[in-house]
Amino acid sequence: MSGFSRTVTGPPKGGHYDLCVARGPACASALALTLIAAPLAACRPAPPPPVNEVVALVAPSLPIDPADAAWQRAPEYLAKLVPQDQVEPRLLTPSTPEVRVKALTSGGEIALRLEWADAAVNDTPGPGAFLDGCAIQIPRTLEAAPPDPQMGQAGRPVDIVFWRADWQASVDGRPDTLTALYPNAAINGYPFEARPLEPGSAAQREAATRYAPAQALGNRRVGPRPQPVEDMVAEGPGTIAAASAAPGGIRSRGKGARTATGWAVVIVRAVPAGLAPDARTAIAFAVWDGAAREAGARKMRTIWVPLAVRG
Amino acid sequence: MARVHNWQIGREMSYWYPENRPKKQFAAVFDINKCIACQTCTIACKTTWTSGKGQEYMLWNNVESKPYGFYPLAWDVKILDKLGPQSWKGGPYEGRTLFEAADAGERVLGWRPESDDYAYPNVGEDDCAGQIDKGAALSLPHMNWLFYLARICNHCTYPGCLASCPRGSIYKRPDDGIVLVDQGRCRGYQECVRGCPYKKVFFNPMTGTSEKCIACYPKIEQGLQPQCFVNCIGKIRLAGWISKPEEARADNPIDYLVHVRKVALPLFPQFGLEPNVYYIPPVHVPTSFTRQLFGPGVDEAVKTYRNAPNDRDLAGLLCLFGSTEMMLSRWRRQGSVVAGIDERGDAVMQVPLDEPVHVRPAYDRIYQIQRTNCP
Repeated sequence: MSGFSRTVTGPPKGGHYDLCVARGPACASALALTLIAAPLAACRPAPPPPVNEVVALVAPSLPIDPADAAWQRAPEYLAKLVPQDQVEPRLLTPSTPEVRVKALTSGGEIALRLEWADAAVNDTPGPGAFLDGCAIQIPRTLEAAPPDPQMGQAGRPVDIVFWRADWQASVDGRPDTLTALYPNAAINGYPFEARPLEPGSAAQREAATRYAPAQALGNRRVGPRPQPVEDMVAEGPGTIAAASAAPGGIRSRGKGARTATGWAVVIVRAVPAGLAPDARTAIAFAVWDGAAREAGARKMRTIWVPLAVRG
Repeated sequence: MARVHNWQIGREMSYWYPENRPKKQFAAVFDINKCIACQTCTIACKTTWTSGKGQEYMLWNNVESKPYGFYPLAWDVKILDKLGPQSWKGGPYEGRTLFEAADAGERVLGWRPESDDYAYPNVGEDDCAGQIDKGAALSLPHMNWLFYLARICNHCTYPGCLASCPRGSIYKRPDDGIVLVDQGRCRGYQECVRGCPYKKVFFNPMTGTSEKCIACYPKIEQGLQPQCFVNCIGKIRLAGWISKPEEARADNPIDYLVHVRKVALPLFPQFGLEPNVYYIPPVHVPTSFTRQLFGPGVDEAVKTYRNAPNDRDLAGLLCLFGSTEMMLSRWRRQGSVVAGIDERGDAVMQVPLDEPVHVRPAYDRIYQIQRTNCP
């Protein structure tokens, strides 16, 4: 745990208490709204008012479940999304208009909860089928002027954590089989599952890998997977690559779930380098709507948004 | 967009990357007139490369009946419809290529097939329309003819798939011009599936990546022709290397058929990809149809092919099709013997141009019986 957690002097507080000790540009307006809402707050804790930057509240533990009650005390930032229309292939028809963001931090890690409206579940990959997803992007180093929001720039990398609905379905128990994707599929057999190869044997797995070159090369598109998120790095459009899996590399985790109107996803990653209660970094968000055939560069995204920590 | 030269359309055109031709370009000639749609090529490819999970629907090689067969559904008519009517009178192509006709924000004009579009290869393609009631009549735009179109990846000089990939996961090998998807780098955006007008890149839902014909490059690296070539029952295929027109050699089999005799033509050259599989067009099909598929040279190609019985060189070279598993870099005819020559200059195959003909009478006088086997 880094120094953030030492600022926590007691049990988690309600939204009012947090606002009273808030520091930063949201403090004055938040206090005014709190006073207006005071009579109602006698019945139940009111949600904290929205903020104009992403504020990560210090918390003793970070909930991975987007429905966890701990999220109720975190202030919400409404991030407007714009189409990625800077590099080809561009998204010229806007889809998801906004994503609502909350953040908590334990000092060593930061948890971000993204929620957006999406009427249709798109979690089944296939030809011409695309997947719901979201991502957060943070500059590798804390700088006064962050790199280009379009996935960084050469020599100035950004760290990206990407969540996708099909990975979530896999983590939630969907079998890694063709019939899980196509329930009516009839399969006569595969040569690598025929005798004399013993099921589950090393020889059988090796034979199967011959027909799955992406798996043989360690491409993380291939399931099954232990986490519905993937750590990536990028230094500009078209450069995104898997982050190092070496010890010390980013090891994020996450969980997504359907809400009444769309998706809520929690992504937990290491606190960005240099981020402290008195320092801000930048963060950006992206959302893909599978129903709108969005993938890769065809996405809705934000510009850089300030990310602050509040103890 | 860069400006590149496309000799198939006789002019410069726009492409996403600058012109960068490989040292050698893999190419092939398919003689459509000899294809019987037995699908042996399809099975040879299927068993070799696409028997894995998520590849069930994939046919890197397929044979479809034209004009009413497609794999995937409507692949050619959809892109033709999107491109719209274009003009090509015989000189430089006057219309727009798929790169030049790309919509705003796109690198190439394209569309994406869905799962169902792949679901019914060769189902009902050869049937006219099922039951026709007595007294009723059936009228179709193209009556009384069909032909079989065998298709693999064209390993284009200007691939639509390569241009479409936003992260450079597709590359063209500098040594042989074979176009491959880097399976370690692909992230499954399906932009290549959208951008290939021939629809010869396929998304694998189990690996999350796109996959395509690899021209059996492990065989080519050993001087051998791909599986779909050597298993062809009808011996319709010949693999080799194609030169630029100004560097064409008459003793190169592919150059001879494509550049010298101009009897083998690219598929939809007007798309602008400079595809490297060439077709000897079907001689029985109205050229009003095949001109759209193979360009304005189709009338002359049919005329040349029809004259093959009187053309010892052309007929001789056609005899080399399917005669050997070896890749042939050169060929020569000496009298009535045609030789195929490999990269080292060794004659690896010799075939007779004239074979003895035996006529077996229908009536066997010795056994006093008709030999016909009709009931």
